[in-house]
This record gives sequence, structure tokens and C-alpha cells, in this order.
Amino acid sequence: MATKTVLPPLPDDPRFMDMAYEIQGAEPEEQRNFLSNLKPEEREVAVKFWNAVKQDFRFNDYLRGCLNCGVCTSGCPAAKFYDFGPREMIQYMMRDAVDKIWEFTNKKVWACVQCFTCSMRCPFNNEIAGLIMLLREYSVQFALPSAKEILAPYRRILLTVITTGNQVTPDMIQPDTFPDWGPQAVEESKNMAVYRQAVPVDLLQRTDVGWHASLQTAVEMMTIFIESGVIEYLKGVDKDLYDMIMDIYEERKQTLEDLKEKWEKGELNEDELPDSWLDM
Amino acid sequence: MINGEKLAQENVEKKMNEEIKDAFPMSDQLTWDDIYQRVIYRYGSPHNLAHIKDEMYKLEDKGEIIVHHIKPYNNPMEFQSLNGLTKKIPTTKLWQHKSCGQCGHIPGYPTSVFWIMNKLEVDYLDEPHQTSCTGWNYHASGASNPVALAGVYVRNMWRAYETDYFPLIHCGTSFGHYKEVRNSIILEKEIREKLRPIMRKLDMDIVVPEEVVHYSEWMYAMSKKAAAQRKYDVSNIKAAVHTPCHIYKLVPEDTIYDGAVWQGRRPAAPSGTVQNFGAKLVDYSTWWDCCGFGFRHILTEREFTRSFALFKKVMPAVNEGHADVFVTSDTGCVTTLDKSQWAGKAHGFDYNLPVLADAQFGAILMGADPYTIGQVHWHATDVEGFMRKIGVPVDDYKEKFIEYLQDLREGKAEPQYLYPKHRKIDFYLTLPERVSWYKKQGNK
Repeated sequence: MATKTVLPPLPDDPRFMDMAYEIQGAEPEEQRNFLSNLKPEEREVAVKFWNAVKQDFRFNDYLRGCLNCGVCTSGCPAAKFYDFGPREMIQYMMRDAVDKIWEFTNKKVWACVQCFTCSMRCPFNNEIAGLIMLLREYSVQFALPSAKEILAPYRRILLTVITTGNQVTPDMIQPDTFPDWGPQAVEESKNMAVYRQAVPVDLLQRTDVGWHASLQTAVEMMTIFIESGVIEYLKGVDKDLYDMIMDIYEERKQTLEDLKEKWEKGELNEDELPDSWLDM
Repeated sequence: MINGEKLAQENVEKKMNEEIKDAFPMSDQLTWDDIYQRVIYRYGSPHNLAHIKDEMYKLEDKGEIIVHHIKPYNNPMEFQSLNGLTKKIPTTKLWQHKSCGQCGHIPGYPTSVFWIMNKLEVDYLDEPHQTSCTGWNYHASGASNPVALAGVYVRNMWRAYETDYFPLIHCGTSFGHYKEVRNSIILEKEIREKLRPIMRKLDMDIVVPEEVVHYSEWMYAMSKKAAAQRKYDVSNIKAAVHTPCHIYKLVPEDTIYDGAVWQGRRPAAPSGTVQNFGAKLVDYSTWWDCCGFGFRHILTEREFTRSFALFKKVMPAVNEGHADVFVTSDTGCVTTLDKSQWAGKAHGFDYNLPVLADAQFGAILMGADPYTIGQVHWHATDVEGFMRKIGVPVDDYKEKFIEYLQDLREGKAEPQYLYPKHRKIDFYLTLPERVSWYKKQGNK
């Protein structure tokens, strides 16, 4: 006579099954110890991080509910290429699952391409791409390892945008940095100076800025970044970049003040100025 | 007999009411207005646009913000936004809010806009007193916060306000991002309270323009007038359109729609512009999808960008729509769709579908020099092939342009300009009298 197979008992309610947790069964979510999945040294910062996100004024506006319908993930470009899906994030947020949010922020949140397709299609009208931005913003503020890793190859762009008021420069297109753009990138980089000269707008003729913003404009933008506290976040993520930006700011602010003073007194001789403050 | 018919009719109605009652138990308690409101809510961002406009005028009345109104001398045209509200598009006296990616990597994009404005005798102002919206940086890195984003927006808007020229936003991301930032300034007292001291430090106040207007909306508004100056026939051209995500998915209700374009089911621009210039619009299954730009991805993780642009956009446009040209209306989309096709050749995917911005498409059709104005030599795809197809004398233009470049190199030629050059001082300080000086130089 064959031995009877003994199956493990099924949980009382299959809705509570979640293979991410050791104990399966009809345990109410609020009694689950989400912290048990976090490394002891990460628990404090994970909780602080998640509380900061939840307390942001946008959080309740952006998160409205979830049917778990998956419309967001089915239309998501990043989900087609990465192990990433906005539904996953929304579900963790709805469950207040600090451990999963922590894992999501450190591994997956940077995959999103910010196209806002999910936000537009969500039947609950969640601002899903906005919630992703909240996680990213706070991961920079908290100087989390994933933010440091992601921003490392991006630092030149950050320096450009904060100090010149332009996100990108024409001369960044080099054959070795953009080999996948083919012979076009080679042509561009080879002829960059004359190509730019042939653009019929004077603001667009330099190779090191997209358009030439005035000194006053550049200093005003740096002031906004400093006064609003963004520069302070960079201190934690990339101290060298922070120092560099602050040095540039002090120097340019001083130059601007001197120029303004001279202009007001009628003592400024325009001819003595270089064509561009970027050459100073 | 008549009574019998009446009875039957009554029975039908009674039965129908019972069925309605059964299907919609609350049918006698609701009004269709409520349903309509809910539909609006569904298609609204977290806050309804009508509500935001109401709040904006209330704040203006209280003196908390300055609203930069669209004036009659901006010759506004009216269109419908997604939920049926009127959106005013100013057509002249425009302050050019340029785009970093366009100016940096697709310079023919802004120059085509300026050239078309010159042709249509539109009054505009392009200044060095503008910064990036920093939206690209924000969506790529998260290295910003709502106050900084609002500060950058308001600073730019202040510069437009003091010149009395209405801001026209060139970049799709700036457009979507500014709509979002505008909403946050209006709805969040905390943002205004933190922002005000920063703006005071810069001798500015909080300015919010009445509408956030994208150049592609302006382009659509002007497209019939512009198409009247068309030099080349494109009736045999099949054009696939990619509508940029940040134009219609970020604060979706604040983008114009028109029943004449895709039955009003897709944004009016840039499809309507292409249509008004006489090209045949073709459809493809992934019309709604992203281009693959990804903000951070295009700069530091292009494996995704290349694959997505090719497989999800270019291939469907060619294989399903048999497109001759891909037209779009944003910085990132032109760059991504144009530059991502070359690498595909390594795997045998040689599509080489020409990619143009709607402004470049329009300018070339109106007879602009494709090199000095359209700057098509910055494009990686076969734009020259497209131009040959519609009869542009490409070789003549190219020969002249190569000569011009050589002359520039040798110092034999002076650079040409679409509007008078700025003074040296304008590259340093933002002077209050700059507009009157500039306009005296004969700029239209």
C-alpha cells in the first residue's frame, strides 16, 4: 500500500501568502515585522527614509489607492527592459512595507525613464512617476549608496547645469563618449568650433555651453540652488563636487558684484571685458 | 389599436426603467453633471486645472503672486485642452525659453523656430537671461527639490514678465515640468513661503504666467498660415509622429486637442502641424510609447535608450506605417530617435528613418536653407534623402554651406544672424533698458 502524501497545511487565507516572509499564514499586515527583513545596521536609516518620504507634502496627493490592476506596469517602457515595475512600488507603499521600499529604492528606482505613461493611465489617478521622483529625491538627500553610484558618472552634468544654467554642452559629444552615435559624433566633434560658428544665433556659438547665459543669470541660478538647500544634499553624495560648485559660486558672485558696482557708478568700460565671462 | 400601441410603449418604457434601475441602482440619485465631473477628475492630474486657475486668480487678488496675463497684443488664439477647457495660445510678442538639449545638440531646432517667426513677422525676444528649467536634471538625478524647481521657474518667468514678452517654452520637458511646478506654487502655501525670501534676495517676486505654452502648440496654431508659404509638396510623404510624453502625460489636461486631428483623441501638436503642411499622417501601434530618452539613460545608460528607440518606435513606424519621416516636437525625442538608429546596423537593423522636429520640418518645407537654418548636418539619420524625395536642391545647398564653413574657418566670412547680436554687457548683466535697446536694432 502506497504511503499517503502529507501536504503542509494551507494558510487560512491565501491572501496572506507572501513568500518574502518566513512565516506564512493569516497574520494581519500591521502585525508583521517588516524590519526583520532589513539588516540591523540599515533599520534606522530605512525607517527614517521612508518616514521622510511619507511626510512630504506631495505623498498623499500622489498616492491615492491601488486596484493592483497592473495597467501602470503593462505600459511601462522600463518594465520591458529591467526587473522593474511601478505596480510593485505602489503595492509596497500601500502596505507601508518599509523593507521592500528600502530594497526597491536601492536597486530598482533608477530604472524608471520618467515618461509618466503610468501616471496618465492609472485608473486611480496615482501620480506614480511623481512617487518615483520622491524616492529618488530623498535617496539623494539621504546620500544613499544607490544615489552615489548613479550620480558618479553624472557629476559633470550636475556641475554644468548648476554653474552655467545649461544641462548639456555641445563639446560633450566625443567619439569615445558617444561611440554608439556613429560617424555623426566624429564629424561633430571634428568640426565643433566651425559648426557652432555657423549657427545663426549669437547665444549658440560657443562649444562649451548650449546657449550663453549671462553672468548675472548664472549667479542667480546658483543662488537658488544654494538657498533652497539642494547644494547641501550634494555635500553628502559628492563632497568634491560640492566644494567645486561653492568655490565657483563665491568667485562669480564677487565678479558680478564688482561689475554691478562699477556699472552703477558709470565706471565700467565694456571694451575691457572679455567677450564672455566664461573666459575669465 | 391606438390604445394597444400606447400600452405596449408604456410597457417598453417601464421595462427599460427597470433594467436601468437594475444595472445602475443609483441612477435616480445622480446627475450627469456629477458623472462628467468625475470624468474630468479621472483625466486630471492630482488637482483639476479649473481649480488651479481659480486659485491662481484668488492669489493674484490677494497680492500673493503676480499673474503674467496674455494680452490682446499677444494676438491669442483659443483651443481646447483635454477636458474641454479653453487654452489661450499667444501668437506674437513671445519670450523664447530655449532648451538645453536643442541648443546644445540640435541647434537647427531653435533656429528653425526663429526663422519661421521671422517669416511670419512674429515679434519675439531671445535673451541670455534665461536658464535651463533644470527639469532634465531633476528627472535624471533627483538632485533638486520643489523649492529649487519653483525658484528656477519663477526666475525665468520674472525675466519674461519684466520685458512684457509672453514666455514660449521650447522644450517638452520644460513645458510639462513647468505645468507641474506652477501647480505646486499655486496649491502649496509652504512652497510660496519658502520661495518668496529667495526671490526677494534676487530682487524679484513670484510671477506665474496665465498659461504655460509649448512652442509646438504655437506652431500648430500658426501652421495653416505657415503652410501657405510652403515651397515643396509633401502629399506623397508618409509621416509618423511621436508626441513627446512630457507634453501630454505630465499634467495631461493642460495640452491642446483638436477634433480635426486624430478625431481629438491625440494631442493636436505636432500631428496637426504635419497634417496642415500636407503630409500624410501614418499610424503605428506604439504611437503612445516613450522614445527611450529616459533623462539619465540617454547620458549614462544608453543600452536601454538604443534598444527602446529602435524596437519600440522606429521599427513599428517603418514596418507598420511605412513612414518616410519621423516628426516629433521635443528635445530628447529628436536626439533619441535620431541617434539611436546607427548602432542597430551592427545587428542588421538598417532603418535610417529621417528624424526631424516639427519646426525643422516646417522650415524646410517653407524653403529655409536646410544647413544654415535647419542645421541638418547635426542629424545622424538620412534627412538629406528625405529632402531629395520632396525636391529640395540638397546638393546646391550643401556645396554653398561647405564653402561658407571654409570661409568661416579662414576668416573670410562673418557669421550670419537671424536677429541682431547682443551687446557685450548683455552677457554679463541683466539691464532694465535692454529691450528698448534691442528693439531699436531693427529686430522684428
